[in-house]
Amino acid sequence: MIKLLRILAALALIGVVVVLLLIFLPHHLTEPQEDLAADWTPEEGQGEYAMILGDCAGCHIGADGTPFAGGQPIDSPLGPIYASNITPDPEHGIGEFSLDDFRAVMYDGVDEEGHDLYPAMPYANYRKLSERDIRGLYHYFMEEVEPSSNEVTETSLMFPFNMRFGIRMWKWVALSDPGFEPPFGDEVENAEMLNRGAYLVEGPGHCGACHTPRNLIFAQKGFTAEDSEFLTGGVIDGWTAPDLRQEGTQPQDWDQVEMARFLATGRNAHAGVSGEMELVVQYSTQYWTENDLLATAAYLDEIGHDVARESDAEDDVPSLSEEETVTLLGDADPEMALGPRLYLDNCNACHFSDGRGAANVFPQLAGNATVTAPVPRGLVQTILEGAELPSTEAYPYKLRMPGFGWRLSDEEVAELATFVRNAWGNDAGAVTAADVAGIRSAIEDSPEGHGEAAD
Amino acid sequence: MSSDVPSTRDFRPTRRGFLQGGAAGAALTGLAARARAQDAAEPVPLDQYEPQFFTAAEYAFVLAATARLIPSEGDGPGAIETRVPVYIDLQLGGDFGQAADWYMEGPFQPDADPLLGYQSPLTPAEVYRQAIPVVEEFCQNRMGAGFADLSPEDQDSVIKALEQNKDPLSGSDSGAEDTEVVESGAGGGASGGSAEPATSQPILSAELRDFFSLLLQNTKEGFFADPMYGGNYQMQGWTYIGFTGARASFKEWVDKHDVPYPLGPVSISGERA
Repeated sequence: MIKLLRILAALALIGVVVVLLLIFLPHHLTEPQEDLAADWTPEEGQGEYAMILGDCAGCHIGADGTPFAGGQPIDSPLGPIYASNITPDPEHGIGEFSLDDFRAVMYDGVDEEGHDLYPAMPYANYRKLSERDIRGLYHYFMEEVEPSSNEVTETSLMFPFNMRFGIRMWKWVALSDPGFEPPFGDEVENAEMLNRGAYLVEGPGHCGACHTPRNLIFAQKGFTAEDSEFLTGGVIDGWTAPDLRQEGTQPQDWDQVEMARFLATGRNAHAGVSGEMELVVQYSTQYWTENDLLATAAYLDEIGHDVARESDAEDDVPSLSEEETVTLLGDADPEMALGPRLYLDNCNACHFSDGRGAANVFPQLAGNATVTAPVPRGLVQTILEGAELPSTEAYPYKLRMPGFGWRLSDEEVAELATFVRNAWGNDAGAVTAADVAGIRSAIEDSPEGHGEAAD
Repeated sequence: MSSDVPSTRDFRPTRRGFLQGGAAGAALTGLAARARAQDAAEPVPLDQYEPQFFTAAEYAFVLAATARLIPSEGDGPGAIETRVPVYIDLQLGGDFGQAADWYMEGPFQPDADPLLGYQSPLTPAEVYRQAIPVVEEFCQNRMGAGFADLSPEDQDSVIKALEQNKDPLSGSDSGAEDTEVVESGAGGGASGGSAEPATSQPILSAELRDFFSLLLQNTKEGFFADPMYGGNYQMQGWTYIGFTGARASFKEWVDKHDVPYPLGPVSISGERA
């Protein structure tokens, strides 16, 4: 008995020591990836463009639209994490940051006081930024952004996630090596373009933060295309961030110009952007250069897997072929099941019986990643609340799909969603009325809930 | 009209017609359990409906009158099965009754040429409120009973007279009593300056002369308007004429010639039939 107590006491002591070390031991910070002269300055516009690539505005824009004033909540499973003020205001922003402090944030997720940052900040991806982009960003935020004295609500998650030293342990496991390694050698045709695409996707674009699955401790499963699960789909804000690599996924089916067009305008011949990706298009990719967009599209095409995604094992809903679906809807038989009947009554006028919609206007439902997503939240939320394509420079008009939550019961939405998930060759699991009810209340509870679905 | 045509007295035939209409409606919707219309709570029967605008006497008149304008004994549903009186009650109690979006500032010339449109200072609600007692009094004096208690044939003759706004017996030998009715009903101004021959006095004054056309128009609306307004119950009006409601999705049918479109209607709120 005494022996056991001794062991327990020893373990407790070791625990305390480890925690103290975690808290007080200085961080080992990542070195610059390139030796640049101390007086090196970025070309005009380079810093701003690096900011655009990194989509800093998407999270750090102030609630009133003030650039980079911070304060917007990012919903995490553990509670809201508030984006910080990254204007050069010395008190409320990052005006006191040295270049090394700034790099430590971007590479290691450590702020100037040595606190570990929550991984809502995608430093796991920004670790791949070049020193030139780091210097450009630092120059941009220090010299070109207007200071704002906006004071941001302090993030306070529940115990134990408010113990920031825990993040330090997490980072040991969750982060990959810093720096970007161009994956394509000279033997590959287009190597320069593909390497640029790889840099954009893996680094500043931080596509993997949403589109790569995460493991049990919420670490991204892979940071480069060498990892087979990289960009094979994740979950963001309850929505499926679609798989970008498997055979049959949209970037693999679309030609590269259409992929680039999607990122540049939020719409293309097949699809319209939805969910969190709207913000990415709105603040970031629509301003990427055409070359960078084409490089991104070429890279995504290059890293496609040859195998089709495994079909959902629990899917017991028979899939209809395109021809069967067109015939079913075209016959308009009064005895048809509720799902296709609801499609005719609510959807068919725009998305049509062939499920192809209209280029740049009505998204195609056949093969649509939001429609067939493993987690149906995106589809159900779109049916309930509608959706709006963001205004982009190429397509300023915000095309709006109305919501149908006021018109359809949970059972009806479930029938309709299950139908479109299994029509035109789509093959995804059924949606239940309970799923819909849960999503309805989740939308109502969310801070940005429009309440349209509540009626 | 044959003698076996039921009267609307006591609503008994009305209720029967209503039940028949309900059964027909259910049959038209195909599998009743599937349609949302069937999930909704059964509305109160018309004879238990508590009007928002009408008094009990006015409501009894409107029930009886609309039942003659779109009778239940035709080859389709009638005003009663489609709950037209509910629609009219809700409309008169709402913006329409108040003429909320009409120009109502005058000058008013109620006896202007009808081609010049609505010229009365009265709102539709006021027209109904003031005209129904005049019509009821006309029925009492001419037929010896209120409108709802008349035989269908007599109700039809009253409606015809209303449509013409001419008292068929006025100026005849039927006695001073009738003339008095006409004068009291006509009110000031209606007879003055009228080019009508003396043998044909108006039943309603100029300010009320649009009552019949309002009633007919509102009855048609109640039969065909979206069910969210209280009429066109279970979209029977639409089903009867083959109108598909708020679907707006027929691209696939543009090229199908001489093929009847098979699918029933959908309402704005998503009700199916």
